[in-house]
Amino acid sequence: MPVLTDLAALANAERADLPPARVLSRGRRRWRRALGVVVPLLLLGGWALASGLVWISPGLLPAPWTVAEAGRDFFFGERRTTLAGVVAFDGAGWGHVGASIFRCLVSFSLAVVVGISVGLALGLSRWVADFFDPVLNALRAVPLYAWLPISLVWFGIGEGAARALIFIGALWPVLIATADSVARVPRAHIETARMLGTPRQRLWRRVYVPSALPEIVTGLRLSLTLAWMCVIVGELTGTSTGVGAMMNAARETGRIEEIVVGMFVFAVVGYGADLVLRMLTRRWVRWADT
Amino acid sequence: MQLSSLRAIGISKSFGAVAVLDRVDLAVHPGETYALLGPSGCGKSTLLRVMAGFETADEGRVELAGRVVRRPSPERGMVAQAGTLFPWLSLRDNLAFGPRESGRGDTEEIVAGLLEATGLTEFADALPRQLSGGMRQRAAIAQVLANAPPVLLLDEPFGALDAQTRLRMHEWLRSVLAARETTTLLVTHDVDEALLLADRLGLLSARPARLVEEIPVPFGGARGRHTLSDPAFVRMKAQILDRVMVA
Ligand SMILES: Nc1ncnc2c1ncn2[C@@H]1O[C@H](COP(=O)(O)OP(=O)(O)O)[C@@H](O)[C@H]1O
Ligand SMILES: [Mg+2]
Repeated sequence: MPVLTDLAALANAERADLPPARVLSRGRRRWRRALGVVVPLLLLGGWALASGLVWISPGLLPAPWTVAEAGRDFFFGERRTTLAGVVAFDGAGWGHVGASIFRCLVSFSLAVVVGISVGLALGLSRWVADFFDPVLNALRAVPLYAWLPISLVWFGIGEGAARALIFIGALWPVLIATADSVARVPRAHIETARMLGTPRQRLWRRVYVPSALPEIVTGLRLSLTLAWMCVIVGELTGTSTGVGAMMNAARETGRIEEIVVGMFVFAVVGYGADLVLRMLTRRWVRWADT
Repeated sequence: MQLSSLRAIGISKSFGAVAVLDRVDLAVHPGETYALLGPSGCGKSTLLRVMAGFETADEGRVELAGRVVRRPSPERGMVAQAGTLFPWLSLRDNLAFGPRESGRGDTEEIVAGLLEATGLTEFADALPRQLSGGMRQRAAIAQVLANAPPVLLLDEPFGALDAQTRLRMHEWLRSVLAARETTTLLVTHDVDEALLLADRLGLLSARPARLVEEIPVPFGGARGRHTLSDPAFVRMKAQILDRVMVA
């Protein structure tokens, strides 16, 4: 095609007009990230000091080294056979963590599928939203603990109730994020797609979902965090595996250091899971980074 | 490609009690570039949105090559001032959007050609927000041209750009339109833009918009920054400004 304008001159003139790239050098970014370690180290130091000087009774909070030993036993200790129904501790760490993660992921996955589907239906159709918004908002207002008795009745003590509770806890953030963000997709994007030839029934795939994805991912992260938090609630219903089951057993026998080990495991796994999810979804949300 | 005429026939449109378009009749000849000039808020965008199929007229109809058209379609590509690139797609994927929807096999060649014609080849993988304002508008026009539409509707496409960038865009768009058989309806309130790009002008009244006058533009093919200082251009611009101000 004959182009009369001097495109090279055009490009040159425009180069000065490019929006500035947000530059934070690699070294500097690493340094900033290292700052995040400072506060945990200070807290750990304070804890060690307080325990060493016996400012806090070991009956309330055991010393860090006691907890560290319990942690070592939990993950690397020698496995002992326990009676059926008794929750194992020594050497049972990986098994418990695995059981908790598995439970969490099963329910989280189901919550994501249901949440995104229902959220899409609500966000795409004013009609569906008018029908179901009140019911969903009312259900959402039922606290997780209020679901506990009925879950036990419906699903029995143990695995079923645990999974149901985790599912309910994880459902709302992703559902609401999807419905809200899909409903707020700019009209101009829809019009452009229609004008470029996208048929109505394909709009959700070509415009609604990609445009809403950053907010959906934020909902996913919140859902995963909540799912992980609900694991403990689920496991208090009487599972014999899982970190929550271990903590419950430790409470009954008064082994506080084991409870603290459980709390650390929850913190570390939860934090790690969020990092992994962020990594997996980064390329979908890069365009909306501010 | 068949050259197509575009007509608005007796278009009226109100938003609630506000009458915006009042029986507008307009005919853009096949292959012509027609500029609509009118005061701000008179209904220019509304008219273009009706022609694109984004709004329905209360009365009247839009015809493309003698057929009545209603829904938005790839045969009437529209670019608005705010730009219409999808922010989540790279420039390349934005340009490929239309051809992919119609399932064309030669999408890659089309995109490569448009990247070249816009001088944006090296930015193919950039996101829209990483481009300058001028690049974005050029890309938005290219995104629409990827469908090879017989009709191009432009709603103040360079309105948000600074004066120099706008002039560069005018020169660029002229060369692009010269190379294509596109019937173009351009809406603007910038008299320079209208005179640099159009073969004919239509003047709209204040709201509710009516077509007041049509004026042929006598300048030849090669128009650009040098045209701005042409005495004939200066004289015509003054006349038109006079009429736009009274209208
Ligand atoms: N969707 C709408 N709802 C109500 N009023 C509108 C709508 N779109 C445009 N208008 C009104 O119609 C008039 C013409 O608008 P517009 O066509 O955008 O004018 P122009 O493009 O000439 O500046 C304005 O008064 C505007 O407020
Ligand atoms: Mg307008």
